Amino acid sequence: MKFLQSNESILFFILALLCIFLSFYNPQFYSIQNIHSILRSSSTVMIVAFGMTILLTSGEVDLSVGALMSFVTVIVMDVINISGSIALGLIAVFGFCLLIGLINGLVRTVLNVNSLIATLAMMLILQGSVYVYSMAAIYNTHLIPLFSFIGQGFFLNIPMPVVIMLIILPFFVVLLNFTRYGRYFSAIGSNPDAAKLSGINNNRYKVIGFVITSLLVGVSGVILASLMDTGQQGSAKGFELIVIAAVLLGGTSFMGGRGTIIGTILGILILKIIDNGIILMRIPQEFQLIVPGVILILAVYFDGIRRKNSD
Amino acid sequence: MALGEKIVININFKELKIESVSKSFPGVQALDNVSMKIASGKVHALMGENGAGKSTLIKILAGAYSKDSGDISFDENKLNIRNPNDSLNYGIKVVYQEISLISEFSVAENIFLDNFPTNNLGIINWNKLYKDTEELFNRIGFDLNPKSKISDLSISQQQMVEIAKAVFKNASLVIMDEPTSSLTPNEIDKLFTVIKNLKQNNIAILYVTHKIDEIFQIADEVTVLRDGQHISNKLISESSEETIIKDMVGRTVNATFERPVDISSAKTVMKVKQISSKNKINNVSFDLHEGEILGFFGLMGAGRTELAKAIFGYDKITEGYVEINNNNYKSFNTSTMVNNGVGYITEDRKGEGIVKDMNLRENMSLPSLKIFEDLFIINKKREKNAADDYIKKFSVKTPSSERLITLLSGGNQQKVLVSRWLIRELKIIILDEPTRGVDIGAKTEVLSLINDLAKEGLSVLLMTSEMNDLLSLSDRILVMADGKISKEFYRGNVNQEEIFKASVS
Repeated sequence: MKFLQSNESILFFILALLCIFLSFYNPQFYSIQNIHSILRSSSTVMIVAFGMTILLTSGEVDLSVGALMSFVTVIVMDVINISGSIALGLIAVFGFCLLIGLINGLVRTVLNVNSLIATLAMMLILQGSVYVYSMAAIYNTHLIPLFSFIGQGFFLNIPMPVVIMLIILPFFVVLLNFTRYGRYFSAIGSNPDAAKLSGINNNRYKVIGFVITSLLVGVSGVILASLMDTGQQGSAKGFELIVIAAVLLGGTSFMGGRGTIIGTILGILILKIIDNGIILMRIPQEFQLIVPGVILILAVYFDGIRRKNSD
Repeated sequence: MALGEKIVININFKELKIESVSKSFPGVQALDNVSMKIASGKVHALMGENGAGKSTLIKILAGAYSKDSGDISFDENKLNIRNPNDSLNYGIKVVYQEISLISEFSVAENIFLDNFPTNNLGIINWNKLYKDTEELFNRIGFDLNPKSKISDLSISQQQMVEIAKAVFKNASLVIMDEPTSSLTPNEIDKLFTVIKNLKQNNIAILYVTHKIDEIFQIADEVTVLRDGQHISNKLISESSEETIIKDMVGRTVNATFERPVDISSAKTVMKVKQISSKNKINNVSFDLHEGEILGFFGLMGAGRTELAKAIFGYDKITEGYVEINNNNYKSFNTSTMVNNGVGYITEDRKGEGIVKDMNLRENMSLPSLKIFEDLFIINKKREKNAADDYIKKFSVKTPSSERLITLLSGGNQQKVLVSRWLIRELKIIILDEPTRGVDIGAKTEVLSLINDLAKEGLSVLLMTSEMNDLLSLSDRILVMADGKISKEFYRGNVNQEEIFKASVS
């Protein structure tokens, strides 16, 4: 019985049901190409969602991740085109992401602007300024094979984005579950006054949360640029909503205090498989937006119920 | 109240009788057989220390609490107050300390907020609104433009609007809870004029205050409560400041602890020099010695909690510095203080103490996680052992250290919060109202724990409004009023009445 009560096992159960249902409906579901495609697109979401899980656990949110990710695809393509060096492209990307993360964090903590508003504003700023940077999409003219490998390549028959995600994953599982920093993020999200009165520097950890999230957006943005072979100004539009929906579906609380990386991964897989199912079942594509919207409401509703039960 | 049923109010009453009213909360007898009579057209002052039962009595009259036993009646007609609505229907109105007006609305709009005069289409009749307001003001002697915006008014004018709002319909009894706490002397005079006008309208006034000098200016009668019991009832003309203070403080200290004699020759562990904060604290200085229990006494709003929070780095200090471990800190946060061996136990356990998403173990280790780390990973086994030690030491009632903190009782949660600091190396502990909400039996237990810790060399800043805790433990007492230290007393050289006088000055 206890197994059924845990949030992760419920999600796992839903995930299994979805897979069984889809494989009966369309055996194509289990084709290696389809699995690869699901995992590849899940990975970019997961990488950013690790950061978002930390942020939501500490009671904050970042709506600017989609706009930043689009910007990253443009920067990385452009800098590598000009310099011919992947290293310089990565330095430019992570420098820029660090800056944006710091700004988000400082606007939240020093100016004391609610993060929902602060990062919504940052989203608008980035969406506008990416066109100041370049009016047109930037195509791959450097043609360095290693760059294409990042998003399109395979390692031991596993898509590279998945490999990158799997390298990052244990770090965050450990961080959130086994280090004092994980506890701090929970305490800050659950009761900021109690955290502060326990000698925790709330603002410092909030800034760290925003910076980590932005840096992870850098990773996902580079993968996306490699996958598309282009830097595109609107390539990750709406990405933030899928990330947040998945994290909340995974059992992390929007009110802060509770977060789970494993739940987040299951949440993303569920959303991505539903997405895939909509295509496989030839349901109109508009439902790829409608379904996550409905799920988001349900996830927050269930979070409210869980919260009530635990009080 | 069923729909259509309407209580008929006889506003013409001689007195509101409170007879043998009792109310208890788990572990506390808040009101014990209290009786008093409030005459119409008279101002009746209600006095007592914090925790004497004044607020409980107000809340029962206002319908926020239900009484356990006893009767409330207008002359011979018993009142049946089941909820705040019943109380309002009987004409019992409370004017609280905090202003709760809509600052962007006009005076008239605020007064008629819940029943604007309208025409048949439901459109507001503005002329009537302003005329009715003006009539009301004439009746009670206010001088205020009904069209003024609340945000343009002074605090005393806003308070008048609150009063007008309370009395514009069928007021029988107006309860004023510390009405002068934010007023200047000039404004207080204006308030008193208003009160005199209310008296002429045959309204009974229950005037709740800490300030003794005021009641001699405005009250006709005074009732003193102490520890939930009715102590005295006198006409003002037959009363004096001394007798009232005696009645309020009254009880003798029931637990005194042996304290080492000369603590002030011990070495200084913390120096606080002329600190001020935006949050009330004004130029406070003191030294704290090793093993000393330094008591801070003050009434509600004197700035005890604010001082504690400023010293601990929760609120920023704007002037002065804190010296600890040979370091001068002008700008510091809570982590600075915790790293210097200072701990803090809040008076607001639920709001600022427990982390409700965490279990007992995680709540206990929160400030001390560093000591449980192996490299970067928390060693859960060591952490759990430490938690188990303190569960045993303080006999915390819980099946295990893994139980969610919210599932523990208040007293057991408090034990966890104390352990939170003892688990680590601690030099100074700041205790804000450590015995608030603790039942009488456990109170002595808490006090003797504080005494034991101090004997082991821990220095204690004890912020309290409980005279008993203060006198039985403190080596030295600093009395606070208005964010400042108004007087210093030494153990063995203390007089309750003088402490009280210093705190109301």
